[in-house]
Amino acid sequence: MIALGFSVIYNTSKVFHFAHGAVYTFAGYTFYTFARLLKLHWLPSILFAILLTILLGMAIENFIYYPLFKKKSSLMVGVISSLGIYIVIINFIAMLFGNETKILRPGVEKAYEIGTVILTRIQILEFLVFVILSFFTVYLLKFTQYGQALRALADNSNLASVLGLSLKKLRLISFGYGSFLCGVASILVALDVGMDPQVGITAVLNGAVAVILGGVGIFESAILGGLAIGVVQNLAVWQISARWESAITFLILLFILIFRPQGILGKRRRLEEL
Amino acid sequence: MNYLLHILIMCAIYLILALSLNLLIGFTGLLSITHAAFYGIGAYISTLLMVKMGFNFFLTIPLAILGSMIFAVIVALPSLRLKGDYFLLSTLAFQVIVFSILYNWIALTRGPYGIPGIPKPKIFGFEFGEIPVYFILAVVIAFLIFLIFKQLYFSPFGRVLKSIREDEIVANALGKDPTKFKIEAFIIGGGLAAIAGSLYASYVTYIDPTSFTLDESVFILSIIIIGGTGNLKGPLIGTIIMLFLPEILRFLRIPDTIAANMRQIIYGALLVILMRLRPQGILGEYRFE
Repeated sequence: MIALGFSVIYNTSKVFHFAHGAVYTFAGYTFYTFARLLKLHWLPSILFAILLTILLGMAIENFIYYPLFKKKSSLMVGVISSLGIYIVIINFIAMLFGNETKILRPGVEKAYEIGTVILTRIQILEFLVFVILSFFTVYLLKFTQYGQALRALADNSNLASVLGLSLKKLRLISFGYGSFLCGVASILVALDVGMDPQVGITAVLNGAVAVILGGVGIFESAILGGLAIGVVQNLAVWQISARWESAITFLILLFILIFRPQGILGKRRRLEEL
Repeated sequence: MNYLLHILIMCAIYLILALSLNLLIGFTGLLSITHAAFYGIGAYISTLLMVKMGFNFFLTIPLAILGSMIFAVIVALPSLRLKGDYFLLSTLAFQVIVFSILYNWIALTRGPYGIPGIPKPKIFGFEFGEIPVYFILAVVIAFLIFLIFKQLYFSPFGRVLKSIREDEIVANALGKDPTKFKIEAFIIGGGLAAIAGSLYASYVTYIDPTSFTLDESVFILSIIIIGGTGNLKGPLIGTIIMLFLPEILRFLRIPDTIAANMRQIIYGALLVILMRLRPQGILGEYRFE
């Protein structure tokens, strides 16, 4: 889901959105604030947290990326600013909440056995939400007016703007929606295994790898890439050791970049176009 | 006094890192975030040779450079086939992989426990043990490297790199193979970064993998982005700002618990603001076009 959110943003705005990781962390912590510190009921907590997350994503676009886009700054300037915002937000969170891991749900979860697989309730929920949101996103992109406009933007932003689509509005929508997906994922994962301020960077890097693995330029491919990365990581943890997890993710990335830079589903393109 | 010298020693170490990264970013236009890996490889090679095999510090430096250069070739060959974001991601991948190896290959590096008791540099029975003596050593080495880079920056080689940065196709048309020059820039940049690693290891006498993380790469990157890329002044002013800033915060009596975070916030904000207003950094000439 993080990959999907990253994909929506990356494809439309072409910004390598490091700060997506900060948005991810932010979602978990706002939920924590509402649910545990303010003792709100979980439903409004989730709604508020996701709403704020969407606003944060859109604010980053509006105040940081869009002015750079207007100035026609290079991609590298975007990447570096994104890294800067990431650092600011993450450290702000760490300053307020401390660096230690926060657990959202005390006690042991009820577990269910399905065949030979043992899952907790929250993990089943994660899976269901993932399936529903994946289908929902594909539906939005394929069959609604905004979705089609976003795809047009991803394909060729100059052409899209010539056709009278508002780039500013569309970019904002893509950041909002991408942050929404990211926020949902973050809260679910936080409920499952807890969180600390540094979770964001791992999440966004995994997301970026998944997007490239699936194929840049095609929104849906991120779903496939995300699944593939998840499976490989867990196989690695199971067969070798959890400590090599990130090394293996990035080895996959290197192989993909070298041998098939267009990703699994991507069309063959010349390197110069990338 | 020792406190000030300590900061200056760290400045010397980071100046080496900043100058060598500047060769990649400011001159060749390659935004690489593998630099902490080169730094770490230098530190670990020096340390292991000294601790396990009793080598002299000054003998380990060429070997550390050599090791780091070999690694630079390994990074450069696949990464240079890629452009823009993909190049960045590929160097990031190498950074994460190197950190994982340092962290997990416990038999060799002792992993998260680190390696303590690294000897101080010795030459002809004279030990660079005390901080003032070490300060002289660090400054001399940093100054030598500064001179090397000064030569490099203004040499024909440096000018070819700049032409590649500005327009690769033109450089190619003039008979300069961009890939070959980029690989050479990587080898030189990576190799010299290893010296900083050796110096750091023998100065603090203890290393562990957490000194060579992705964050460290980002820190080195921000030094030269804030200071400015593409010339000698930029990395110098960047190093001074980035290393003295936290010390100023210390004097403002900000509580320790939030000081580290405050510092990071300031770095991050500086990056964002500079990118918006002055993408070439305070004294730089290259604007990431």
